Amino acid sequence: MTAPGGPTHTPAGTAELAALVRDASARRARLRIRGAGTWMDAGHPVRDAEPLSLEAFRGVDAHTPGDLTISVGAATTLAELDEVTRAHRQWCPLLPWGDDTGTVGATVATATDGPCAAALGRPRDLVLGVEAVDGRARTLVAGGRVVKNVAGFDLTRALTGSWGTLAVLTRLHLRLRALPPGEESWVLHADDAGVERLRAALDAFARGPLAPMAIVRLGAASAGALGFDGSARALVRVGGNAAFVAESRSRLAACGDARPADPAIWNAVRARLAPEDRARRWDWNALSLRIRERFDPARLLNPGLLGDAA
Amino acid sequence: MPLASGPPSSFRRLRDAPSFPRVNPDAPALAATLARIVGARHVLTRASSLLVYRSDGLPGLERQPALAVFPGSREELVAVMRALAEAEAPFVARGAGTGLSGGALADGVTLLGLHRLKRIIAVDAEARTATVEPGVVNASLSRAVAPHGLHYAPDPSSQTACTIGGNIAENAGGPHCLKYGVTLNHVVRATVVLPDGTLTTLDRGDEGGYDLLGAFVGSEGCFGVVVDVTVRLTRDPERVITLLADFTSVRAAADATSRIVAAGILPAALELMDQATIEAVESSIYAAGYPRDAAAVLLIEVDGAAAGLEDDARAVEAECRGAGAREVRIAHDAAERARLWQGRKKAFGAMGRVAPHLAVQDAVVPRTRLADLLDEIRRIGERHGVRVCNVFHAGDGNLHPNIPYDANDPDASRRVHGAMREIMTRCIAEGGTITGEHGVGLDKLPYMDALFTADTLDAMCTLRDVFDPSRRANPGKVVPVRACREWHAAPAARALAREAVAR
Repeated sequence: MTAPGGPTHTPAGTAELAALVRDASARRARLRIRGAGTWMDAGHPVRDAEPLSLEAFRGVDAHTPGDLTISVGAATTLAELDEVTRAHRQWCPLLPWGDDTGTVGATVATATDGPCAAALGRPRDLVLGVEAVDGRARTLVAGGRVVKNVAGFDLTRALTGSWGTLAVLTRLHLRLRALPPGEESWVLHADDAGVERLRAALDAFARGPLAPMAIVRLGAASAGALGFDGSARALVRVGGNAAFVAESRSRLAACGDARPADPAIWNAVRARLAPEDRARRWDWNALSLRIRERFDPARLLNPGLLGDAA
Repeated sequence: MPLASGPPSSFRRLRDAPSFPRVNPDAPALAATLARIVGARHVLTRASSLLVYRSDGLPGLERQPALAVFPGSREELVAVMRALAEAEAPFVARGAGTGLSGGALADGVTLLGLHRLKRIIAVDAEARTATVEPGVVNASLSRAVAPHGLHYAPDPSSQTACTIGGNIAENAGGPHCLKYGVTLNHVVRATVVLPDGTLTTLDRGDEGGYDLLGAFVGSEGCFGVVVDVTVRLTRDPERVITLLADFTSVRAAADATSRIVAAGILPAALELMDQATIEAVESSIYAAGYPRDAAAVLLIEVDGAAAGLEDDARAVEAECRGAGAREVRIAHDAAERARLWQGRKKAFGAMGRVAPHLAVQDAVVPRTRLADLLDEIRRIGERHGVRVCNVFHAGDGNLHPNIPYDANDPDASRRVHGAMREIMTRCIAEGGTITGEHGVGLDKLPYMDALFTADTLDAMCTLRDVFDPSRRANPGKVVPVRACREWHAAPAARALAREAVAR
């Protein structure tokens, strides 16, 4: 396969990847990391870089349902992760903006969260450990398969959300959660006169004890993007045991005109209501510059992606 | 925003990297400088007055600081840090000294005590955050925000004494971290002063940036010192149900843990205490009414919305009985609940009755390996002739095998350390880690090579160098010095390096 920047590198394992990074460094070449290719244009354009495909790092390495943890290759898609875990009534609720054709590696590398992040955790909360090759061709094995770990300095946190500018993520260890036994989604409607009352009622609901999995407020444009008319003001997703879901349902009904929604609506929310990419406004403060310089001194990984002059 | 141009920094490669700078260059002169900042009575230099700072919460490790300084305000703290930088003096930050890994010990260097910085600067009940100074005691923060129906969720057993600053340094946990997460999950933003004296604000990078706060939390005082921190507050649960399940074998209790988790229930806490621990607690003033003839008890708490909570409690009870529980008791009121918890939280203290010293351990294994591993720990204890007391966060797989002993008996010490080494080796072999919440400090340094590859340890040194290239902050802790392959020399360190090479 040939792509702009030359033929695509497809290392078969971490040793090959480390050799590739060493070689690129010696040749003064640069590498553009690619998983499924879903966020290649997210930030700033990356020019004059050789494509590096992670397709060899794909699939589930270890899943022990009783531990509620899973280890996957970086190029494993979110759909694959979901299929494997759902078979055990579990999930990894990353649920990032976009869709499930994206990879786990990209979700973690960009720390992309989604509409359920506040309640179910952000990528930064759900990643237990990573394996990676950094810009100095060192193979890093940080964190692990246990849910609590404070051994050593936290490379996992440093690499999560670094957009592949410090290291190439090859493998991720993730925390899983049990799927809630029951789940319902509701769309709340109000006419213009009732908007304020609904907003106040939903604020009180959100502050109350029945913590929902997600509340997404809708404006005219976002309601339209999801195929609702302008009277749709909010989407609410609740999950828990039967008594919890029933109580949530009755409280939402008391908030206003609550109508049941198809759970598939959340895929539409993720696909159509994504906010602007954070990569466009990267904070290049003194420490950011230093961490980039120390882990990738030649700036050979994803050069320019975060606005760092290549 | 272009990146600063220029060639990549050069690295000096030294076969025998010098040790971290260890000795204050000129202690009396430094003490005088610091006294001008904080006042003479907040600087200690006499060996006798420094005695109390020779150890932390972990018995058996002692180091003598050269001097101690206690700033009383944010301005004083920053000025002290700049004076230390000016003097190129290594230092160790310390909160309440309750740590359990020897992390806050200063070996011949300056000890920077932060307990006077105990202001709660702001509470935003609407946004559910509080901004506090590092010396605020964990439990006082929860007490201060209680009128708003809020609390600070991380609850280490030392919470009535330990400070928020120390919690951040260690990324502290606690029983309720099973549901609510560890310290890192509750920190929003921090103003820190770096070892070179620079003031900077760290966050999680959610608005577009590296997760520098995530790297800082848990760095054991090696990256800098917190000036103030904004933490998330948690709403008090509408209802809490606390259960005590009693088992005739440790294995059955561990199995119950797996069954509860597998059933999809996320308790707020799920703690296991074995017979040796029950005996120690029940013989102490902290007696909680645990059944003395049980091989193990589980202390389980479910909390949250009242709706559906009793169903969760019933499911927990059913899983316990399914695993062979003899009895499952539910705390009737707040007083009974507090009593059950006091026994757990004071268990380490209660072990003080058994012997003068206590070897404290903190390892994590995958939950499904708990039952086998507890059997193995018992066998290891028997082989070495020591009594292991297990009291730990079973829901997280976070073990605390503790051994009461007399450190003045060399034979006992040898056997205790032999048993501990074997336990840790076993945990690592099971895919576990050497610390879940206490930190590496000095105590766990010997295990770092077994847990991490040379490349990974080297990268940890790189991460430290981002924040503290001079390596003056808490020298000699967390990562073995020899693991830092490349000595990225700052001027002070470079001078030392040259001397080391010359010698």
